[in-house]
Amino acid sequence: MSATSATLGRTPPRRRSLLRQAMPGIAWWAICGLVALMFLFPLAMVVLTVLKTSSEAAATPPHYLPQHLSGQNFRALSNADIWKYVINSAGVALGTVVGTVIVATLAGYGFARYRFPGRTLLFLGSLMTLMVPFQALLTPLYSVLVFLHLANSLIGLTLVYITFQLPFSLFVMRNAFAEIPQEIEDAAAMDGASTLATLRRVMVPVAKPAVVTVALFAFFSAWNEFLAALIFLSDQSRYTLPVFLTTLVTGKLGAINWGLLEAGVVVTIVPCLVIFLLLQRYYVRGLMSGAVR
Amino acid sequence: MSEIALKGLTKRFDDGTLAVEDLNLEIGDGELMILVGPSGCGKTTALRMIAGLEEISDGELWIDGELVNDFPPKHRDIAMVFQNYALYPHMTVRQNMSFGLEQAKVDKDEIARKVKETAEILDLTEHLDRRPGQLSGGQRQRVAMGRAIVRDPKAFLMDEPLSNLDAKLRTQMRTELARIQNQLGTTTVYVTHDQIEAMTLGDRVAVMRRGILQQVASPRELYEQPANLFVAGFMGSPAINLLTAQVESDTLRSPLGDVALDRRLRDALEHGDRTDRVIIGLRPEHLQDAALTERMPDGTVTFSGEVSVLEAMGAEYYAHFDLGDQTSVSEAIDPSHDAEGDPVGRRHGNDLVARLPINSDVHEGNSIKLWFEPGHLHVFDPESGRRLTEAKA
Ligand SMILES: Nc1ncnc2c1ncn2[C@@H]1O[C@H](COP(=O)(O)OP(=O)(O)O)[C@@H](O)[C@H]1O
Ligand SMILES: [Mg+2]
Repeated sequence: MSATSATLGRTPPRRRSLLRQAMPGIAWWAICGLVALMFLFPLAMVVLTVLKTSSEAAATPPHYLPQHLSGQNFRALSNADIWKYVINSAGVALGTVVGTVIVATLAGYGFARYRFPGRTLLFLGSLMTLMVPFQALLTPLYSVLVFLHLANSLIGLTLVYITFQLPFSLFVMRNAFAEIPQEIEDAAAMDGASTLATLRRVMVPVAKPAVVTVALFAFFSAWNEFLAALIFLSDQSRYTLPVFLTTLVTGKLGAINWGLLEAGVVVTIVPCLVIFLLLQRYYVRGLMSGAVR
Repeated sequence: MSEIALKGLTKRFDDGTLAVEDLNLEIGDGELMILVGPSGCGKTTALRMIAGLEEISDGELWIDGELVNDFPPKHRDIAMVFQNYALYPHMTVRQNMSFGLEQAKVDKDEIARKVKETAEILDLTEHLDRRPGQLSGGQRQRVAMGRAIVRDPKAFLMDEPLSNLDAKLRTQMRTELARIQNQLGTTTVYVTHDQIEAMTLGDRVAVMRRGILQQVASPRELYEQPANLFVAGFMGSPAINLLTAQVESDTLRSPLGDVALDRRLRDALEHGDRTDRVIIGLRPEHLQDAALTERMPDGTVTFSGEVSVLEAMGAEYYAHFDLGDQTSVSEAIDPSHDAEGDPVGRRHGNDLVARLPINSDVHEGNSIKLWFEPGHLHVFDPESGRRLTEAKA
């Protein structure tokens, strides 16, 4: 995981890869440009489609560039009450972030610093759940939620997301804490800080890149998740964005309104993009430099 | 300000390692006590027990007349400077220094005042708003000191605080540190593996080896009257020459020549467990160049040998002589066997060193005549390593 190695702090001297050394500059840029294009093309198509009118979007053969810019799709989305679903999704995603970060931080700290019987086994066990496919657990989880009277509720869905985020998040947090030299914590103890104060004012801030990583992954996966939301939620008023988008797709006679659908996709992508760009500096960079030696 | 008393302090780790064994030590109010020993001898563990970071397996720790074995660090009111500094990387220098005071709920203005004052003492004022990552090694070291000083604790614990600095800065900071400690008058336990640091810094020095305290004394006493072979070998650079000698009625037959047994040596031998064989120790500076001496005192012993290696140190020479295999000192008591990573005391048992003035006419491969006074000889028991001789009269 890039973030955990980033917490090491010492950036290795930049070295050009062998591949890059062997190639002339132009070829290198050409290849990179091509790869970037491959990734950006579908995104560009989405945005361009959104700006077309519905008839133009359905035209065959398709034009790449819209002839008339149109806000029609976004208006239609507004009329379909998209804000309600944005709020549902945001609530679930933020709940997942908060829940995951809190549990993974506390548990990760425990696994990194306290010795207790079964520590390794428990940690490996939690990692092992990563090997079980998500889909295989949906039915049993559904029964659990019904039992807890949390089926068809956003809280229940949030709890499910947190559960699925935990193994990975725990792994990241444990490693991040384990990499912080014991002496830093000892220094806080000598300074009179309680365990909780040490965690809050020293350990978590130092492990910030890992916390951001965990939060980002929790946010993205909850925000984009479709299958569990589709299965666990039955009232349309509680749908999250991805589920709501499917209701847009099936219009009259099963025809797909591409413009409208892609507009929904844009609404879904934008927050992810903004958040990622805002937080990437933590995500990439470590904070340990200068702590020891 | 306060006194610290260690009574039979012992640390047994879960894996059975006995890191510190029955450590008895009293550190007086305002004293600078140096704890020195080769790496792995238990210095850090001892310090961490005083700090409260390591549980005490056995024995008692008294601070200011209070038994504090079960006190957590925050109730011991002690500050520690860690070997790797352990600064809070996400905080500025100012925040690093304020943290302890904030935890103690000290008034904000008071904190600001104290931080400013401490920064001035340590010449950190212009760096207060930087983070550790933006500071040089020497500056980080001073921040680590500042974090301790600003709290005005009962005592400072310092774990090899200068070991990560380059040689020049280390010497400079050593002087600085002694000055600050003296000025503040705070009881301090200072750990180092560097015997030179120990000799130059401390009021008193405690020498440890394999978890066991060997001797506590002033630097001078340690050097002149080492309690045993280990202390003799550990203190001083180049290390003391240790050689095996046979006792024959009224002479000591050593590789350096025969030494007539005088009153002092005879007394020493009577205290030993063996009467046939002892280990003698002679500091390199007590070997003199005969060519530069006009009149040798009575009873001196002379020794001629071929210089195998000559090190020019600027103001003096270290002349090495190869004595062959006759002189090995048993492994159990040879200090060179646990001074790992430390050039001091790492010499072979058959190597003899003399410190000669720079005007000596010495050359590698040439023979030279040396002499010494028997009064400078230390005699050690070959079994226990205990020193048998009294100090030179
Ligand atoms: N947590 C630990 N568990 C087991 N053994 C340890 C532990 N910490 C230190 N030791 C051992 O205790 C001995 C003393 O270590 P230490 O106090 O760090 O020595 P020093 O500071 O003098 O170099 C060493 O042999 C070391 O391996
Ligand atoms: Mg140590």
